[in-house]
Amino acid sequence: MIRLLKSRIGVALLSLAVVLALANRTGHAFAQEVETREAPPIEELRFHDFYRIPVGTKGLEISETLKLSSGRVMRIVGFMVQQEVATPGRFLLTPQPVQMSQHADGEADDLPAATVLVILDSSQQEWKVAHRRGLVALEGVLSVGREEAADGRVSWVRMQLPPDSLRSMNTFELAGYLHSQQHRH
Amino acid sequence: MHLTLLTHSSRLPRLPVALLIASALVAGTAMATPTVSRLTPPSELFTSGRPAPVIARFLPGQRFDLQATLRPDDAGKTITAANFAIDGKKVDLPVSLRPCNSGCLATVPSNAAIASIRAVSVVKPGLHDFSVTATQSDGQTVSATGNFEVVPLVAGGRKVKNIIVMLGDGMGAAQRTAARIVAGGYAQGKVIAPLAMDTFPVTGMVKTASLNSVVTDSAPGMTSYVSGNKNNNNEEGVFPDDTVDPFDNPRIEYLSEYLHRTQGKALGLVTTADVFDATPAGNAVHSSSRGAGTGIVDQYLDDRGLTGLSVLMGGGRKWFVPSTVPGSARGDRTDYAFSTSDAHTAQIVQRWGVAPGKLDKDRDLLAEFQAAGFAYASDKSTMDTIDPRTADKLLGLFSHSNMNVALDKMDGRRSKARGASGRVVDDYGFPDQPLLEEMTSKALAVLERKKNGFVLMVEGASIDKQAHNMDTERWMLDTIEFDRAIAVAKAFAARQGDTLVIVTADHECSGAALIGGSRVSDARLQELVREGGAANVRDKVVGIYEQAGFPKYRMAADGYPETTDIDNRLLVGYGANSDRYEDWRTNERPLQDSQQPFVKKEPLSAYPAGPMARDVEGRFMVTGQVPGDSAVHTATDIPLSAFGPGAWAFTGVMDNTDVFFKLAQAASGGSLVPDGLVLAPVKSLHKR
Repeated sequence: MIRLLKSRIGVALLSLAVVLALANRTGHAFAQEVETREAPPIEELRFHDFYRIPVGTKGLEISETLKLSSGRVMRIVGFMVQQEVATPGRFLLTPQPVQMSQHADGEADDLPAATVLVILDSSQQEWKVAHRRGLVALEGVLSVGREEAADGRVSWVRMQLPPDSLRSMNTFELAGYLHSQQHRH
Repeated sequence: MHLTLLTHSSRLPRLPVALLIASALVAGTAMATPTVSRLTPPSELFTSGRPAPVIARFLPGQRFDLQATLRPDDAGKTITAANFAIDGKKVDLPVSLRPCNSGCLATVPSNAAIASIRAVSVVKPGLHDFSVTATQSDGQTVSATGNFEVVPLVAGGRKVKNIIVMLGDGMGAAQRTAARIVAGGYAQGKVIAPLAMDTFPVTGMVKTASLNSVVTDSAPGMTSYVSGNKNNNNEEGVFPDDTVDPFDNPRIEYLSEYLHRTQGKALGLVTTADVFDATPAGNAVHSSSRGAGTGIVDQYLDDRGLTGLSVLMGGGRKWFVPSTVPGSARGDRTDYAFSTSDAHTAQIVQRWGVAPGKLDKDRDLLAEFQAAGFAYASDKSTMDTIDPRTADKLLGLFSHSNMNVALDKMDGRRSKARGASGRVVDDYGFPDQPLLEEMTSKALAVLERKKNGFVLMVEGASIDKQAHNMDTERWMLDTIEFDRAIAVAKAFAARQGDTLVIVTADHECSGAALIGGSRVSDARLQELVREGGAANVRDKVVGIYEQAGFPKYRMAADGYPETTDIDNRLLVGYGANSDRYEDWRTNERPLQDSQQPFVKKEPLSAYPAGPMARDVEGRFMVTGQVPGDSAVHTATDIPLSAFGPGAWAFTGVMDNTDVFFKLAQAASGGSLVPDGLVLAPVKSLHKR
């Protein structure tokens, strides 16, 4: 689906597909193009630099690099976690592809310790981001420290995306996306 | 007016039309009556009026809760009193009456009430009726009746001292057969080296439905074996209720608790998953939310006096460190604290003798386990140094969440770089994780010193998790890993002579089917994948019937295949699959995106993604029959094999709850041979 959309857009740009989940609205959302090759010189943070590796006998130890990144605009390259059920307004980014079968496994998951909770802008909290395979590069404000979500899941590293990271799908794109959810061919 | 409604006819699911008419006649004009919308333990007698099948069954003396949800007939009234009776005799225990003005499901009116009696037991075998009678504020009363059965323990042969439950999560017949073909090999139709589980003398089939679905998940799948009762999906050791609190549900005593209370047996739990996961928790923890991780792991320690928990090994360290430690997953939303003033939960503490719980996300559970006498192993090397002669309790937490799968652990030991920056186990930060057979061996070494015996559950967890991902080679190797743990358990049982071992699953996962073998070499397969399309990747590869031949995997000295990418490999299809691409090869290659060349410099970009993302090179799309991205559990029966005294009870096709009563009979009544089965001294007919 992503390839199809990219071909329509006609440029080799990173995109994130989002679905507008507002039940009483007809507007739709799709990915905002981020010109990765012409990106401003924003410092990149690598997952491998999050914590001391190998992990010690107890919990994790946050690296100085990660600590210093908190509160700053950073770029991270990773994989969107393929969740069984997308959560409006947020998704997970990991250094390796991970699939979550939440219905069967809950939080008994294969997420690595270095996982980033990516949060959409407050005006986009009811948007769902469609899963995109392959690597994505994200830029946003990083925050480091414990935060417990309403569902009880605890995150330690979050990235707040700017609102222009997303754009609305048009009706045709949304129809194509929803169709792909039913029949991926 | 005082109107008494009779028996089960006041339940909500069936409209009490006749009773409404009757009550109108008695009351003159009033049509409304209070109702009982839920009566626990669940029964068909209450739900449909049919006395059979009997849903809830217990051992003599096994403890369980009685509960009823009571609804007044209009918003201005309340429920003022309730009592329960068994076989017509009032249960003389305190009844809690919890109003639903807060904390109940949205479907329950706020003036409803939930009546409970905690930790009831009945010794007399046979079928029993039980009833609730409630009084409304205007004096009206309502009654409803259900039934349950107490299954007798029969004086049999020698009682088994130890019980080992080997639980291959998601392991259906296909997963088992695949492991046999890969690990054992075939020659002219005969198995060269059987799986350990194939050498067990007795095998039956298990029906796996849960209380609310033909397709179970792992929580009720496990608890059916160790409580004798069906739970709803996602719930462990409890019956469903009408509150939102995941820890206040009506409880059922587990096998571990029953045998610890009556015989002083210890409990061991070993898994390759996060230890809070449903299968291990479904032996010792009571919750309607399998995701309530903080409360679940707290309960392991706090209620060890009830379960006899002495060994706990697996992943999931994130739940054991205080919330102030980076990576901790502890939080108040996944924890619990029983009220000391509200009888609804206070009586759980008083009657069951459990800890009250506490919202304590900053608790250092790791330290508290150690303070309670548990030796702690954070990796294999440490585990190996623990001397079972001096350590009578053992905690092993080898990863942050789930442990890495066998294929990746073995690659780690073989220094094979399949990960992004090296070995997968390095990328996860836990390079020294034990294999399941090593954990099992250590657990048995600790537990065999328990003079009253033990119950040990060993779970091969990622057979299921990798089947969800349709990652064929990873669940195959996890099944082999699981079988090697079974060999350890069997050897122990054979040596001891007093240990019953069963091997089973909680359910099948993914509808896996061994559809044949590849007709081409691995090198040719890679060429065909590059050419792509079903005409190449399917039509030129998939060998059916005699074209499949006998795939031949070479086993290394470490007991695992040298490689899973052999010529003429075994091919697996999925009947409960989501959409996916298939190239038949082990998922190890970096996923490259040609439109993002800059990411090629990032070493962590090299793992295969979910089914849709990996194997896409060959462009052989397999359309799924289920929505989403994961394969799902199926309702298909699963095999169970048994070894040791009491094994012969496990023949035929049985309900998953039957397994509990067979285990308990072997431990408490003595081993039995089923009616009609005559055993003669026979040497093993199994030929290798």
